[in-house]
Amino acid sequence: MVERTRQESREAFILHGYPYRETSLLLETFTRTFGRVSMVARGARSPRSPLRGVLLAFQPLALSWFGKGELRTLARAEWVGGQPLLHGEALMCGFYLNELLLRLLPREDPHDALFTRYWETLRRLVPHGNSAPALRSFERALLKELGYAMALERDGASGRAIDPAKTYRYDPERGPIEVEDAGPEPRVSGRALLDMGRDDYADPQTQQQAKALMRTLINHRLDYQPLKSRQIFRDLLAL
Amino acid sequence: MKSPTALEELIEALRCLPGVGPKSAQRIAYHLLQYDKTGAERLAQSLHGALQSIRRCAKCNSFTELELCALCGSPRRDSSQLCVVETPGDLLMMEQTLAYHGLYFVLMGRLSPLDGIGPREIGLDVMQRRLADGEVKEVIVATNFTNEGEATAHYISEMLKDRDLRVTRIARGVPVGGELEYVDTGTLAQAFVERRLL
Ligand SMILES: [Zn+2]
Repeated sequence: MVERTRQESREAFILHGYPYRETSLLLETFTRTFGRVSMVARGARSPRSPLRGVLLAFQPLALSWFGKGELRTLARAEWVGGQPLLHGEALMCGFYLNELLLRLLPREDPHDALFTRYWETLRRLVPHGNSAPALRSFERALLKELGYAMALERDGASGRAIDPAKTYRYDPERGPIEVEDAGPEPRVSGRALLDMGRDDYADPQTQQQAKALMRTLINHRLDYQPLKSRQIFRDLLAL
Repeated sequence: MKSPTALEELIEALRCLPGVGPKSAQRIAYHLLQYDKTGAERLAQSLHGALQSIRRCAKCNSFTELELCALCGSPRRDSSQLCVVETPGDLLMMEQTLAYHGLYFVLMGRLSPLDGIGPREIGLDVMQRRLADGEVKEVIVATNFTNEGEATAHYISEMLKDRDLRVTRIARGVPVGGELEYVDTGTLAQAFVERRLL
């Protein structure tokens, strides 16, 4: 296959920007067609750069770039719009989503469905209130896209259907396994597992157990290297 | 391994300046040594002097040679207002407006959750202690309108929400004298979202 070196107006989000050389930015982007792509935005940090008001994370953009290899060069960035700027808690959640993608998505691996899901999740985040259901549902979609779809219907050891009245632990490789005692890993009720399968987080207990479970599973996929964006949630809680 | 010569050391040291890469560093080093030894001497001394005497103002966290900077020490400033900015450069910009007569707090940065820059790294704990004097009635958050500046603003408002303080955010929108046709789309979109009653 001949590698196309120039891409025009591709749907994308910026996940993060790092200062690069004197006036440039190194952008980590999430594109619909190619997944994560890194590119340099030349001169984007110079005071008069027209890119300044456009290269914002959490905003749908149409990016054009050229070049081959690991690092492309941004040619143009257009504002797509329709997505309000995030603020308050929604913004904090947005940083968390972006860090998950930065840490877990391999480069240049297309994930069209996840792109749609990410955009939809941004729209569901609320500045004040409960963004937890949106986060849980995104975390589950992310694991699924990465090939670690969660089993939420059958016991991974016995093969029996999940019983809402029973208690389970969740083995990252085998799925839920019925247990009767407490243990080091978080315990989840059968009911919470079934709720999660339907993306239904109305029940506070489901919400709480799902949070602990997803945290464990994500930590497992991150090889237990901590996420930086979680610290800000802890700092806010400690106020 | 041989140790670097004085010239190599100088070239390497010059690279810490913003915008100076290896080529420019070499050019500057040769220029100073060849044509401007007096200038080089002065630079060395003023750099050394500045490093010795300049420290952070006890009240606003900006640079000063005294315990308090001139601004914080001025009796003419309104001590009931505190404007929070990211950098000393932002403070200067605010001063040029002549619209503000209160005091400042300079964060020397902004929160950046993805870079591991948290509230302590930008001295928000210092600011909280600064507010303990009870004189400040309004905190005006003038951090940048980037996601990181907004995150900083959110954190500050959460940090101060139980205090008897007015916490405000500077407004954003279409520049004065700006024609809509030439304003960037993001700014215009946000100006629309944040429209006000006439
Ligand atoms: Zn001061």
